[in-house]
Amino acid sequence: MSSYTYGETGREVPLWQKFREIDWWLIFLLCAVAAVGFIMLYSTGWDIAKQMRDPSRALTHLTRFSIALVLMFIVALVDVRVWMSLAYPAYAAALILLIGVELFGTVGMGAQRWLLIGPIRVQPSEVMKIALVLSLARYLHGLTVDEVSRIKTLAPAVLMILLPVALIFRQPDLGTALLLLMGGAALLFLAGLSWRIVAVASVLGGVAAGFAWRFLLQDYQKQRVLTALNPDSDPLGAGYHIAQSKIAIGAGGLFGKGFGNGSQSQLNFLPEKHTDFIFTMLAEEWGLIGALTLLVLYLLILFRGLSIAMSSRHHFGRMVSMGVMFTFFLYVAINTAMVMGLIPVVGVPLPLVSYGGTVMMTIMIGMGLVMSVHIHRDIDVPRHSGAFW
Amino acid sequence: MSRARGRVHIPASLSQIDRPLPKQSMYFDGTQQMMLEMRRGRLLVLSGLFMSVFLLIGIRLIDLTVLSDDRTVRVSQVENGLAPIPIRRGLVDRNGNIIAADLRTVSLYADARDIQDPKTAAEALIRVLPHLNKANLETKLASKRPFVWIERDLAPKQHAAVLSLGLAGLHFQADRRRVYPNGPLIAQVVGYVGIDNDGLAGLEKSLDDDLLKEDDPTPVTLTLDLRVQHVLREELMKSMVAFHAIAASGLVMDVNTGEVLAMVSLPDFDPNEFQSATNNEKFNRVTLGVYEMGSTFKAFNTAMVLDAGVAGLEDKFDATKPYETGGRMIHDLHGENKWLTVTEIFKHSSNIGSARMAHLAGVDVQTEFLQRLGLFDAPRLEVPELGRPLLPAKWGPTETATVSYGHGISVTPLQTVVAMAALVNGGFEVHPTLVRDEVEPSELRKRVVKEMTSRQMRRLMREVVLDGTASRADVPGYSVAGKTGTAEKAAAGGYLKKALLSSFVGVFPSEKPRYIVLAMLDEPKGTTETYGYRTAGWNAAPTVGNVVRRMAPIMGMRPIYEPGIKPGAQIAAAE
Repeated sequence: MSSYTYGETGREVPLWQKFREIDWWLIFLLCAVAAVGFIMLYSTGWDIAKQMRDPSRALTHLTRFSIALVLMFIVALVDVRVWMSLAYPAYAAALILLIGVELFGTVGMGAQRWLLIGPIRVQPSEVMKIALVLSLARYLHGLTVDEVSRIKTLAPAVLMILLPVALIFRQPDLGTALLLLMGGAALLFLAGLSWRIVAVASVLGGVAAGFAWRFLLQDYQKQRVLTALNPDSDPLGAGYHIAQSKIAIGAGGLFGKGFGNGSQSQLNFLPEKHTDFIFTMLAEEWGLIGALTLLVLYLLILFRGLSIAMSSRHHFGRMVSMGVMFTFFLYVAINTAMVMGLIPVVGVPLPLVSYGGTVMMTIMIGMGLVMSVHIHRDIDVPRHSGAFW
Repeated sequence: MSRARGRVHIPASLSQIDRPLPKQSMYFDGTQQMMLEMRRGRLLVLSGLFMSVFLLIGIRLIDLTVLSDDRTVRVSQVENGLAPIPIRRGLVDRNGNIIAADLRTVSLYADARDIQDPKTAAEALIRVLPHLNKANLETKLASKRPFVWIERDLAPKQHAAVLSLGLAGLHFQADRRRVYPNGPLIAQVVGYVGIDNDGLAGLEKSLDDDLLKEDDPTPVTLTLDLRVQHVLREELMKSMVAFHAIAASGLVMDVNTGEVLAMVSLPDFDPNEFQSATNNEKFNRVTLGVYEMGSTFKAFNTAMVLDAGVAGLEDKFDATKPYETGGRMIHDLHGENKWLTVTEIFKHSSNIGSARMAHLAGVDVQTEFLQRLGLFDAPRLEVPELGRPLLPAKWGPTETATVSYGHGISVTPLQTVVAMAALVNGGFEVHPTLVRDEVEPSELRKRVVKEMTSRQMRRLMREVVLDGTASRADVPGYSVAGKTGTAEKAAAGGYLKKALLSSFVGVFPSEKPRYIVLAMLDEPKGTTETYGYRTAGWNAAPTVGNVVRRMAPIMGMRPIYEPGIKPGAQIAAAE
């Protein structure tokens, strides 16, 4: 399958040694963030009608995280070159799934995002988040700095990004489409795209955004953008989420109202409080201190990822770690900025804290790849291991 | 290239964010080394981005939590600034009586940090809110928490009483509550709302957008009449108990305009406490349930034959012996064992005759006619709970025969009544509605049945009450006409002989109908009063009779006594 054989250029590392190489600091940080999620979901479990706390969501969260953690270990222990050889097939598979959703997808909440394969519900856009990072990393690994900025060699990478973005945009899932677009663009930038192209792309992007606004965005999406700019114009309509969210955060103050005491969130003034708006609830119940603590945890994870990227001797590893970390960063930044009314409401969860299994799996598989890069950081992967096999 | 090369020389202090680069390896070619160095610069740009975005988010967080206002201002923002729960318009019946309304309430919470003496405060609160638990309350007040709930949705009197205590640390929050003052009277039709005041079922759900119109405080007027609704529900409940039925449902509709005056599905629930309702109770049998309606369909079959000119009222069909069609024997309940006219077939509810009539008309005429009456599509009404009909998979001679007497096809009771209305109102299609503004002007009505056919059907249905299966539905002075239906309930693989679904659709007055009334009983049992009979003529028909007897005077209708019947007997019966 692959043009290079396993262990050809690097040394074979025994499994026990791989275990020792695991970055336990990163594992600890991930667990800490998931624990915040557990506590918050336990708090949202208050059932007003029954006057009882229902721990099922929190427990499901815990179970999912445990499964995801095991999955992460498995991904981490596999040689990074195996992942490299799987990059293009994974991308192709994800693309086929995306086309499949276009043709046979089930419609949930007004958007076509899910594909039923037997009993399993697959969200191909989630698969694509990982697949795109892998395949872009693989492709860019084979390019010199000059080649990155050359149209002939840059075009396939751009196409690789735009194809799934277009498909996901059609679902319609603006949030995920933008996430992929920004993630892909960041990788190109990291690969050394010349500033001139970056400038040109920014201008083109601005024009395209204007065009999209005029012709492509659905009314509800436009409405969200407009209310984000001035949420108080429509506090009971589309601005309701943001207005309520800001009140709740404000009500938290410095130290918060205490566990389970957030009136705004507990009384269901706040919609989607266990998913997209869970940060609001954290801020209301644990105050500025609690919210900042979580942000610091996220920042530490990001810098841990950055340093893993730095220490990788192969470009593929760097690209993969940065791709995963940048996606992670986008999740956190978009979600928190959204609930505080800095940007429009887009359905992006807070990684490892929001309730929901799909995104958690994506994140943890991504973290597994980062970990695999870390464990196999000293392996040499020649540039000409073939951009295409 | 020179620009890129310049980037290689990053000051060591900047590049050593974490650990130094791994030792130069013999595998490294110069280009790769250069690439790694140059991209390290980009990495720094990105980590700069991370930092600044997080800084921005942190600043915003501080701005929202600490800098914006002080605590009291923020709480009052909740209290006064934004109504946290959207306001919903009310619902009223056709006479302006309240069906659903928003009630402003206040909820009481405490900032325990401001409570000076938890014990006395608790004692004072218990005096005005005696249902609270004292120990629990004391713990809450002593908790030093900035926010603890004391009680939700206080009545104005309680609100005033708590205010007059003058205790520091107690606060109120504006709240809203949807109330249904009639309790279970209109359960499934009106539906209910969730904690955010959003409609979850019934009209509350389907009219959600309309009800949340902010600039319009006027209530939405429904076509329902609470008085008629009450009569229908009470009579159905009586019959359900008397005949030990497991469920009952009914409908009263204006036969010309399609206005629904009453709709009941039992067992029902109190929408004020919908959380404790079972699915069986939430199930609207009239609009969502689909049933094989049985002999009621003979009305459609007869109208079809008359309307298509296939046979006249006096044409005879062979009902001397059971009729075999498609390997299936069709029997009559009370076999007359002779040739019957169309009139007799309808009056005595003959299955054999109905099947023969349908076969004479043919599959195409039958399906076209039933479709014209709207029996092949989901019914139309403002509630979201609407059941699609179950039609035969293939439509051959056997199906034509069974459908003629109401088996092998399942429809909602609602559309049965709507189709029946078209047969008797002069032949016009009816669009049922629950909302007053949706009532269709009569000049726009579409004709679906000939006027002549409609007149004949009214006579036939009156015959059923005067001298047929539904004599117990008659109300002196109001000239009830109608058709009974007793269907064996379908179960997996066949029919349950023991379990019946009995129904009666009545219209009155028969010469110029105004209202159509349905009563349907699920699994009625025989009683001594009915001599053990369980068929519709003994239970559903008298139920409709009782409804008519009570509702007609309410609707201001004078009794008109027909000639040829002894007036004395009529007056005695009317009293």
